[in-house]
Amino acid sequence: MNAAHSDHREATARRSGIRITGRTLFEQMPIITLVVLAIGTGLLTDRFFTPTNLVNILLQASVMAIVAMGMTFVIVSGGFDLSVGSVVALSGCVATWVMMQAGVAVGIGAGVAIGALVGVVNGLCVAKFKVSPFITTLGTMVVVRGLALLLTDGRPIVGDDDGLPALFLALGRDRVLGVHYLIWVPLVLFGLLTWLLHMTAFGRRVFATGGGREAAFLAGIDVDRITVAAYAWCGALAGVAGVMLAARLQSGQPTAGEFYELTAIAAVVLGGASLAGGEGKLYKSIVGVFIMVVLANSLNLLNVHSYWQRIAVGMVIIVAAAADQMKARKR
Amino acid sequence: MLGNDPIIALSARNIDKRFQATKALEDVSVEFVQGAIHTLVGENGAGKSTLIKILCGIYPQDRGTILLDGIECRFEGPGAAAAAGIVVIPQELRVVPAATVAENVTLGQWPSTKLLGALPILDKTRMRAMAAEALERLKVSLPLAARVDSLSFAERQMVVIARALLRKARGLILDEPTASLESREAQRLFELIEGLKAQGVAIIYVSHRLDEVVALSDHCTVLRDGKVVARRARGGIDKDELIRLMTGRDLEELQQPHSREFGPPLLEAERIDGAHSERRLCMRRGEVVGLAGLLGSGTTQFLYRLFGAAGTKTPITVEGRKNEFASPAQAIKAGLGLVPGERALGLVMSLSVRDNIVLPNLDTLGGRWNLDTKGMDRLTKSLIELLDIRPRDPHRLVRELSGGNQQKVIFARWLASKATVLLLDEPTHGIDVAAKARIHRLMREFAAKGGGVLFASSEMVEVVSMSDTLLAMRQGRVVAEMARGAGEFSERALRAYLGG
Repeated sequence: MNAAHSDHREATARRSGIRITGRTLFEQMPIITLVVLAIGTGLLTDRFFTPTNLVNILLQASVMAIVAMGMTFVIVSGGFDLSVGSVVALSGCVATWVMMQAGVAVGIGAGVAIGALVGVVNGLCVAKFKVSPFITTLGTMVVVRGLALLLTDGRPIVGDDDGLPALFLALGRDRVLGVHYLIWVPLVLFGLLTWLLHMTAFGRRVFATGGGREAAFLAGIDVDRITVAAYAWCGALAGVAGVMLAARLQSGQPTAGEFYELTAIAAVVLGGASLAGGEGKLYKSIVGVFIMVVLANSLNLLNVHSYWQRIAVGMVIIVAAAADQMKARKR
Repeated sequence: MLGNDPIIALSARNIDKRFQATKALEDVSVEFVQGAIHTLVGENGAGKSTLIKILCGIYPQDRGTILLDGIECRFEGPGAAAAAGIVVIPQELRVVPAATVAENVTLGQWPSTKLLGALPILDKTRMRAMAAEALERLKVSLPLAARVDSLSFAERQMVVIARALLRKARGLILDEPTASLESREAQRLFELIEGLKAQGVAIIYVSHRLDEVVALSDHCTVLRDGKVVARRARGGIDKDELIRLMTGRDLEELQQPHSREFGPPLLEAERIDGAHSERRLCMRRGEVVGLAGLLGSGTTQFLYRLFGAAGTKTPITVEGRKNEFASPAQAIKAGLGLVPGERALGLVMSLSVRDNIVLPNLDTLGGRWNLDTKGMDRLTKSLIELLDIRPRDPHRLVRELSGGNQQKVIFARWLASKATVLLLDEPTHGIDVAAKARIHRLMREFAAKGGGVLFASSEMVEVVSMSDTLLAMRQGRVVAEMARGAGEFSERALRAYLGG
């Protein structure tokens, strides 16, 4: 511990009155960004603040929100998951394929289970075999996409002559209490996962594992188990997202979910989580998702070519990562 | 020649430096003389590091001037300072692990030549010659082609010093250079420093080890709370006076009376240093057991093995119950607690004081599902009071605390988990005299309340003064066992066993 550092710390502690405002502003950056983005778009086009468009945004955000919540678990635990996009595709295909043989409930269960399974494999590779999260999930990303193509022979699963079960198609279309099922799912999961990550002992352990793996281990935390659990939650949630996307697309698409992993990571980082682990808030990741979705939506409304949209999204990812680094350096 | 007048190589005049509301340095003036060793002492936070950083251009000063050879200069960064001949050897050595000794010594000044008279390439022959010459000046022999990551810490330090020499260093700043050295290596370093001094280099030396300071100093400057409180010259430097000057008060005798009355055995382990060993460890309630060993002697691994953190199982009996801990979690359940040598290994820096304290006991303290945050806050507040952790805020992130307070948070954790056995690895490594005394008192109090303390240290004085029983380790083996009041129990005897 050097003197300058401790001096500095004491100094920041003493002038905490000043610091709070600056820090608070910085911490609320995601929400400020979202509000500015929405108002800016609203000023540029009157098609933004319309009920149809806002529902559309919610629908688009619903699938990504679930993927991003899972990603938050992994990133807070100190990891990283590139395989979620492929898992979204595979679970959608598995769910639709299974439900034609065994019914809707079993199909949905199978879709979620296959996601969880991929997550467990990711977690075991990272925790037990010490393969870096980047390499592990890059590998499973390719493998899982291959499995989805293999299962479907590269063609979407749209069911037999009658199509997919009507109940499943209704899930992707219908509303309850005036709100789409697809929007209810992330709302309910958000409550459940906020409790799990921010209010339980398990959640504290996830934060501790990501914040200092060795220190957490020496404090008696089974860091390997926590790592596997975080990846398993991420995989299972990607599975849920895959089933939802299949319901929305009314088919199991082996090419679905492309770039979801990048969008989800960008959303989580935009929400202020640290890629080094140990820091993050679930609701802020959701804000990050909305930033990404509203950005895409506004570019659409403003008739920006989809190629340009990709470029914009890529740049947002880099800006978010740079902000993450600047935050880390401030310490 | 200027006769006997010392030549002032580098001086700082009336330096002020603030970090927001805190005065880090106030009107500090120091002169560093060619061919002399000038030590800077002070407690953590006294301003030593800040002064060094200003001297070598890492921080700009708010007021005052830096003079090199009597000419005012402002370094734009450590690179500019190094170019002017002021080089810092930090505690964390900057080396390229995968590069060779020759490459590391000449780093930043790689000579080039032209291949076929046109293509610029690295001139390896000259590079080796330059490195060899620099090492020769230090009277050090190191294999030039060896990769630096195959060297010991002491050897890497030599590489970095040689690099500084190659830059024609005229002022060499050494920040706690012996903190990670064995005593023999430290001795070697002192010889090397004396050699550089004879070559006219101004040596600026920062250390917490006051014995070294007394032995090495030609001049000594004591800093306290950012101010110079005393200047001393060779012959007039006294260790007790230094402590008084640094802390601003008399340090009461640390040597509290050692207990002679121990309770029943608390922790027992057989064959503690290998399957064929006859050595056993038996720690009774109220006892402080010291593990003396130099760096790399296996004391750390021993503590980790007992704690179930080494990946192997060691049979161990705690309060009469036989155990084999496969993980720290099991050891904690049985009443053990480990305070690692590096605070970053003991604490999760991104979590709050409270969350770090309750971390091993989230299930029992926090409730299985919903965390009892109010109960956790109450517990944390009481421990903050008990151990005087500052600031008194359970929700402060531990990385915002000073080193001494971070160490107390780890103590608080094991008090909260009602540990009966405390394992400590180098508990006072790199902390100042006053903080050290506080840690020692905490260890004693823990034992006095019926707990057992097993601590590893490479500081012989500390082991001898703190331990009721001590084990001396060398190369993973226990080479001696000594008990206070039975036979010789002294630093001298210990050094004889450890070859230090």
